[in-house]
Amino acid sequence: MGSLKKSKPSSGQIFIVGIFIFYMILPIIATYIFSIATRWDRTILPEGYSLEGYMEATTNPYFFITLKNSLVLSVASVLVSLFVVVPTVYWVHVKLHSAKPLLDLLMILPFGIPGVVLALALVQVYNFQPISRSPLLLTAATVVFTMPFMYRSVSNNLAAVDIPTLTEAAQSLGANTFNVLWRVIIPNIFPGILSGSLLVFATVFAEFTLARLIVGAGFKTFPMLLVEYTRKDGTIAAGMSVISFTIAWIVSLLILWASGKGIKVSRESIGAR
Amino acid sequence: MMTYLELTDISKNFGNVVAVKDFNLSIKKGQLVSFLGPSGCGKTTTLRMIGGFEIPDSGTILLADEDISKIPPNRRGIGMVFQSYALFPNMTILENVMFGLKMQHKPKKEMTSIAEKVLDLVRLQNTAKRYPHQLSGGQQQRIALARALAIQPRVLLLDEPLSALDAEVRVALRGEIRRIQSDLGITTVYVTHDQEEALSISDMVVVMNNGLVEQIGTPQEIYRKPDTRFVATFIGTANEFHGIVTDSENVKAGNLVIKTSGLHNFSIGSEVVALVRPENVEVFDQKPTDSMVNVVEGDVDTITFHGAITRLGINAGGKMITADVTITGRNILSYHQHVWLSFNPEYCKVMAEK
Repeated sequence: MGSLKKSKPSSGQIFIVGIFIFYMILPIIATYIFSIATRWDRTILPEGYSLEGYMEATTNPYFFITLKNSLVLSVASVLVSLFVVVPTVYWVHVKLHSAKPLLDLLMILPFGIPGVVLALALVQVYNFQPISRSPLLLTAATVVFTMPFMYRSVSNNLAAVDIPTLTEAAQSLGANTFNVLWRVIIPNIFPGILSGSLLVFATVFAEFTLARLIVGAGFKTFPMLLVEYTRKDGTIAAGMSVISFTIAWIVSLLILWASGKGIKVSRESIGAR
Repeated sequence: MMTYLELTDISKNFGNVVAVKDFNLSIKKGQLVSFLGPSGCGKTTTLRMIGGFEIPDSGTILLADEDISKIPPNRRGIGMVFQSYALFPNMTILENVMFGLKMQHKPKKEMTSIAEKVLDLVRLQNTAKRYPHQLSGGQQQRIALARALAIQPRVLLLDEPLSALDAEVRVALRGEIRRIQSDLGITTVYVTHDQEEALSISDMVVVMNNGLVEQIGTPQEIYRKPDTRFVATFIGTANEFHGIVTDSENVKAGNLVIKTSGLHNFSIGSEVVALVRPENVEVFDQKPTDSMVNVVEGDVDTITFHGAITRLGINAGGKMITADVTITGRNILSYHQHVWLSFNPEYCKVMAEK
């Protein structure tokens, strides 16, 4: 392994990595350019550039409302996910190891069930007030839909740290369950919690199907507004896409920055193993 | 001295597996007691029941006359050191050592002074600001010990604390554990599968096998007067001579007639095994005088140098006998050399065959 790490990458390896990066980044660059292009269907590069798309998007009265709704929905999903998933995964790791295969299986289901099916099923089952077609039901749905991201991140991190022994060590030193979780377990699985939160936030922020089918126009989210614009004006829609993933990036960076210390320490702790 | 920690009729099953059965033990204050046995013998389960991490199916655990069987681990005031050190990776050494004191809501000043004291005790004062992964395994385990001692535990539990360390550190650290333990007079239960470790540091050894106690005694008693065949063969090495009792002091084992110091507990004709430790087998390069008993002839088959002693494997007419000798310059043995062995009847321990 050592020699493989030290040797310089071959031109073939650089080529493959380059192709991969190009493949991933091209649509993003294209979207950015398209959002500031005046006309781009007869030439290789756009015929002109303007920020009109952005102006029009931000002057729409729904722009800030939908932005706020999407942020609220994303933050709420992250919070619910944290409170539901983290303790569950922890207890499964420490006490109920036999339940792990079942949970692992359950966590594949959101990938297997199409969003449309989940949304329609939820609308049917929770067809009573005040739940029916409410943002509350939507949050519950997005939590289910994004649960594997949180579960996987936290579960992998838990598996990398000797949680049962650390728990017992803390208990032998007089820590109650709260202190065990708060002072010992959470700091050590913080990277997993963080990456899970980021994935949940980003996914929910860009989620369209569930929002459209469960709440519809009653609680318009940013992606819903974006889809409306794709039917009217591609430039504005592109501008909104750019705003959408810029927000996702800023939030990611903010979370990473705010928890810099926690990450550093935990990385050290994992590196030690 | 009065009994401090008392386990009475403790049993524990995991499903259909009997982990511990009818375990009884009294430990006096300040004693270091080792649980010794092969893996799966129930020693760790018993330790974990004392610590509160397992609840016994039946029986009681009394600590200073208080029944602690059902008290959760965080309220027992029992310190524990784990095989894997289990230091908190997110905390510095000082934070690790102060963790238990923080849980007791001690004032900051007192916490610092206690932490300094215990770090001093394990001779690692200068590591306070470092993180666990920056220390060696041996240092981490000493910190784990300091962390457990900081709360001034009523009992200290050590679960194979040296198993993850290399030989040299193991020997040094076990000496240190014993020094600190006796300096503080702290009642300690030590789990190990390493007989040398158990014999060298304990006041009392509990030998366990298949969930049952085989023998409880001082290291000397366990080694010299094993109660059961398991103890005799698990602790140290023993040559086994399987045979039949022919009279009040002789056992016939194949072609050999082994003279013992007395067989009053066995009836004539009963099947027995006579056990002789390798260090009690004498080796001669010439035929000894007729006055010697239990003389066996054979050829040197293996020679293994162990430093202070040399272990010989001697083929005595197909039967392999192990003998430990201290070889000095004048009596160097060679392979296939013809030798005579002898052992004193005093050192011959006879047990029933089954």
